[in-house]
Amino acid sequence: QKERSPSPTCDQKVILLPCKSAPSRDRVQLWLHAKRQYECLQKER
Amino acid sequence: MTTLTRQDLNFGQVVADILCEFLEVAIHLILYVREVYPSGIFQKRKKYNVPVQMSCHPELNQYIQDTLHCVKPLIEKNEAEKVVVVIMDKEHHPVERFVFEISQPPLLSISSETLLSHLEQLLRAVILKISVCDAVLDNNPPGCTFTVLVYTREAATRNMEKVQVIKDFPWIVADEQEVLMQEPRLIPLKTMTSDIVKVQ
Repeated sequence: QKERSPSPTCDQKVILLPCKSAPSRDRVQLWLHAKRQYECLQKER
Repeated sequence: MTTLTRQDLNFGQVVADILCEFLEVAIHLILYVREVYPSGIFQKRKKYNVPVQMSCHPELNQYIQDTLHCVKPLIEKNEAEKVVVVIMDKEHHPVERFVFEISQPPLLSISSETLLSHLEQLLRAVILKISVCDAVLDNNPPGCTFTVLVYTREAATRNMEKVQVIKDFPWIVADEQEVLMQEPRLIPLKTMTSDIVKVQ
């Protein structure tokens, strides 16, 4: 069966964005700090 | 010579694959160049035969991947008019927008080899422009974050809903606050026209 195409008059333009936010800079900075500390500890071993 | 037409089943998929890969590289590079995240999370990689900076932060990489995974079905069906990377200040007001206008021609007649090599050159040019764009842009305020906007049509959102990842990564209609910029200034970076897609 042929799919019915939506009427162009009611098919309005929309702008979408994700509900979820990207990780914050502070959160990423914290991760980077922990990663560097871990790498330092690994080198010391 | 392999000739592709829009009617070919895999045409939309090919375009969507190429574009989503390009958008992924472009988003990582924008975040690096515009200093949205600390430079320490970025590593040098080679894409389109040029060095680029890609994040190694798992959560951020997953976020970008999930975003593009949801956008892909719209590009496949030529239903994404624009994909916009928006950099926002602490109050979530947009301060900078990188607009990728996507328009696909109805027909094309090219060999797949010519297409790929030509496209690589064009995408490389856009990437190079992004990597030096900070020279023409003002510094952003501290504590910025980013989001991705997709300009589409209401009916097309149904294609998005078919993607499995959408259940854990839902999308909403943007508020005016998230879209409009105060005193906007347009800086054209690069227009790229290939046989399969036009990115501006």
